[in-house]
Amino acid sequence: MKQKADVLQGTLALMVLKTLDVLGPLHGYGIARRIEQISGGLLAVNQGTLYPVLLKLEQEGAIASEWGASENNRRARFYRLTREGRKQLQVETQDWEQTAAIIARFFEVKTEDLP
Amino acid sequence: MRALRRFLNRVINLARRREQDERLREEIEEHIALQTAENLRAGLSAVEARRQAMLKFGGVEAMKQDYRAERGLLFIENLLGDLRNAGRTIRRMPGLAAVIIVSLAIGIGVNTTIFSWIHMILFQPLPGVSGASNFLLVEPRTETGGYPGASWLEYRALQTQVPALRDVVAFQMVPLNVGGTGQTERTFGQLVSGNYFSALGLKPAIGRFIRPEEAERRGTEPVIVISYDYWQTRFGGAPGAVGQKVRVNERDLIIIGVAPREFQGTMLPLKFELWAPATLAPALLGGTRDLEDRSVRAFSLIGMLRPGATREEAQAEFSTAMAQLAHDYPEASAGIGGEILPFWKSPRGPQRLLISGLAILQGVMLLLLLAVCGNTANLMLARGSARQREMAVRVALGAGRWRIVSLVLSENMLLALLGASLGAAIAVWGTTALRVAPMIGAFPILFPTRVDELTLALAILLGAACGLIFSAAPAVHLARLDPQDGLRSSSNTPPRSRARKVLMGVEVGLAMVVLIAAALFLQSFRSARQTDPRFRPEGVLLAAYDLSGRNPDEASEREFAARLLERLRSLPDVEEAAIATNVPLDLHGIPARSFTVQGRVRTEAGQDRAISNTVTPGYFKVMAIPLLEGNDFAEMGDTAAPAQAIVNEEFVRRYLNGADAIGRRIQTRAGSFAIVGVARNSVYNAFGEPAQPAVYFSYRDLPAIQGEIHLRTRSGNETALTSEARAVLRDLDPMLPLYDVRTFSQHIERNLYLRRIPARMFVVLGPLLLGLAAIGIYAVVSYAVARRTREIGVRLAFGATSGRVVLQIIRENLGAITWGTAIGWVLALVISVRAITKGVINLPVFIAVPAILLGIATLACWIPARRASRIDPMAALRHE
Repeated sequence: MKQKADVLQGTLALMVLKTLDVLGPLHGYGIARRIEQISGGLLAVNQGTLYPVLLKLEQEGAIASEWGASENNRRARFYRLTREGRKQLQVETQDWEQTAAIIARFFEVKTEDLP
Repeated sequence: MRALRRFLNRVINLARRREQDERLREEIEEHIALQTAENLRAGLSAVEARRQAMLKFGGVEAMKQDYRAERGLLFIENLLGDLRNAGRTIRRMPGLAAVIIVSLAIGIGVNTTIFSWIHMILFQPLPGVSGASNFLLVEPRTETGGYPGASWLEYRALQTQVPALRDVVAFQMVPLNVGGTGQTERTFGQLVSGNYFSALGLKPAIGRFIRPEEAERRGTEPVIVISYDYWQTRFGGAPGAVGQKVRVNERDLIIIGVAPREFQGTMLPLKFELWAPATLAPALLGGTRDLEDRSVRAFSLIGMLRPGATREEAQAEFSTAMAQLAHDYPEASAGIGGEILPFWKSPRGPQRLLISGLAILQGVMLLLLLAVCGNTANLMLARGSARQREMAVRVALGAGRWRIVSLVLSENMLLALLGASLGAAIAVWGTTALRVAPMIGAFPILFPTRVDELTLALAILLGAACGLIFSAAPAVHLARLDPQDGLRSSSNTPPRSRARKVLMGVEVGLAMVVLIAAALFLQSFRSARQTDPRFRPEGVLLAAYDLSGRNPDEASEREFAARLLERLRSLPDVEEAAIATNVPLDLHGIPARSFTVQGRVRTEAGQDRAISNTVTPGYFKVMAIPLLEGNDFAEMGDTAAPAQAIVNEEFVRRYLNGADAIGRRIQTRAGSFAIVGVARNSVYNAFGEPAQPAVYFSYRDLPAIQGEIHLRTRSGNETALTSEARAVLRDLDPMLPLYDVRTFSQHIERNLYLRRIPARMFVVLGPLLLGLAAIGIYAVVSYAVARRTREIGVRLAFGATSGRVVLQIIRENLGAITWGTAIGWVLALVISVRAITKGVINLPVFIAVPAILLGIATLACWIPARRASRIDPMAALRHE
């Protein structure tokens, strides 16, 4: 159980970083919407779980936040990627691609390919 | 790096919790508002749109938990919460909290103060020297177990023959007369080896220290180092002091430097003013043979272990070196071995004088603190029971056992640490007050006690320990609580009073021990002031002189004393004058001599001993000690009379079975003396001592190098004689100072000093402890009674008289108290007989103290019992 949540949290963090990288400063709702759109509703998580992740990233210095006005002109907290976050995104993207490649290769290997 | 940053942010967030909570709330609100707007656009009704938005967001509370866990440090937040809660609880019971905090503070403060003394004496024997604990005593030891000190030549040999010790240093204490003609003052200095200051690692305040070559050969540079205080008081701290000449024992010495402020020499607690090279000894001490005679063992040695060396190695090398010396110089060193000792095992100095007394005092005070803890535990338990309902609610709402324990613990710890901080403040005040000790005897004394990190740590530790001790019972009690029980009405559950009763008994028992100790101490102290010393101290002025600087022979000592007495007696205001080698009631006691007396056959092994004092004619008149038989000593100038002695009544009773003493001969190592008189018994070493046999010898027969002048005034104002006495001595010898001038009453007061400190402590602590015990008992009984209101009501309704009810309540509670008292009493008796009074039982104390304690305990039971018995039965039955 716990492990699964950790994996999810880790990927969620990466999604947040990527979202901010692509779209620029965004409030929590915007991030949640974007992740929903991209994942096509496949990632059915409570939107609320996003906030602890945002806080963690902020505490680590990957993102920063400040108050701004939302579309309907209310006060909203806007998150943006920091330089450090950009670096982190780069590293983690690489890591992820590497992992994905390895996993992909595992799935490609068929029994008859084995020596 | 990232983890660290996250942690730091968490710490910061602790302080910004509220602000952050607000931020999250706002974010959630905005999120849901935006989602609702979206849903509205999708065509949902207003209510449904919001419901869907909330659903999509998920559980807010669970998320908040995660958020908080991410944000801060949950453990610390809980702790802070507990502490805030504890603070509130304590503020709600200011009276109780004050009693607890103040009593703990006093207990902890007193203990810390005493500990700072013990700590100083044992572990900081060299004030001002860093790394003092690395130094070891290097002590030659005779076969009989004496520690005679080292001779200079021995020191020079040991310097190279104990390679495990780095920098062995030598020093000896010397009395010095400082200043020019007619204005000399007496002070004390140390003659030191050339490596003294460098080995101790000291840096001069100004100037420089003695160089090794200056203590190498005789007649080297006549230089001297002065203490910081001496520099401040005599030279006003002027840098020009270095290079000036001072006249010391009639020699001109040049000041080369000033010792650091904290440094007071290497013989705690003496405070030295001057340090001169050891090679000046012959010049300063009138041609003494200290430097060449191996049998003059005037020096003390200390040394530091070389890195990597052990004490065993040093001991082995030292023993070998001493054996070699004994072989090479049998006449001076035969049978003398050696011991390397840590400072706390020092064979002389304040360690021996103070440490056992301080240890007993510390023990008593720790018991006192324990009694205070018992009392506090009781109060907290009573209070804890009153809070059963609150705790039950907490448990019912889901608080774990550990949360309840931690709640109780944090409350008590907060109380304990508040007590400890106040206690530390008391200790700081106490040690400063104790530093200001008067001179003891003629020696300048400074106890450099202070509250340092270690003593502060002890205060905190004691506080924490107390907190744990008095938390244990209530915490266990409350944690075991069944919420159902607790929430139900409390009056029909049986009171769990066993723990409280046992605690009450323990507390009273401890109080008993401490109170008896206090009473014994106070009584001995009071008797010290009220007992008739059997001589008359009023109207007597004491002053000392010392001829050691001249190395006089016996004849000149006798002649000097005779001339001095003659001049003093001629003063108009002097009724009688005398000189003696010892003053009664001195801190270090009057020495005893062994002797044989004509007409006495000893049956058992060993030797007869008696206190011995050497006095001039006129002494008994000055002291107002009547001579019961015979006459005073022959005049000082009388060369015809044989050597004489005067004994006291006890001497006659004990050693001569009351037979006629006059004319018998006493044989001592100093010669044979004829008894010419019998004096009345008087007090010699301590008030309240049993009668002691004493022998007085005549100054004429055994002149001494120094003397205590005793002057009885005609007018009754003895202090008025001071300047006249000074003038007389200045006339006789302009370079000789009169020192340690004091009235006999001052002399007695001063020597009671070390007993006055604990006496004052007990005067405050005794009643305080009694009061605390009373409060503790009162709290327990009134709580127990309150819980039994209904039962008491039933009894009264069925016709029990209120007197019977009171009696029963008292009887129930007095049981535990009596047990405690009895156990404490026996304990105190055993301790007193074995450790303090050595077999003598002070009956009044052992009867009065339990009587008072039990009386107060009964009163403390009676008040709540009586209140309970006065209730209206109807009201009691309705009581819920």
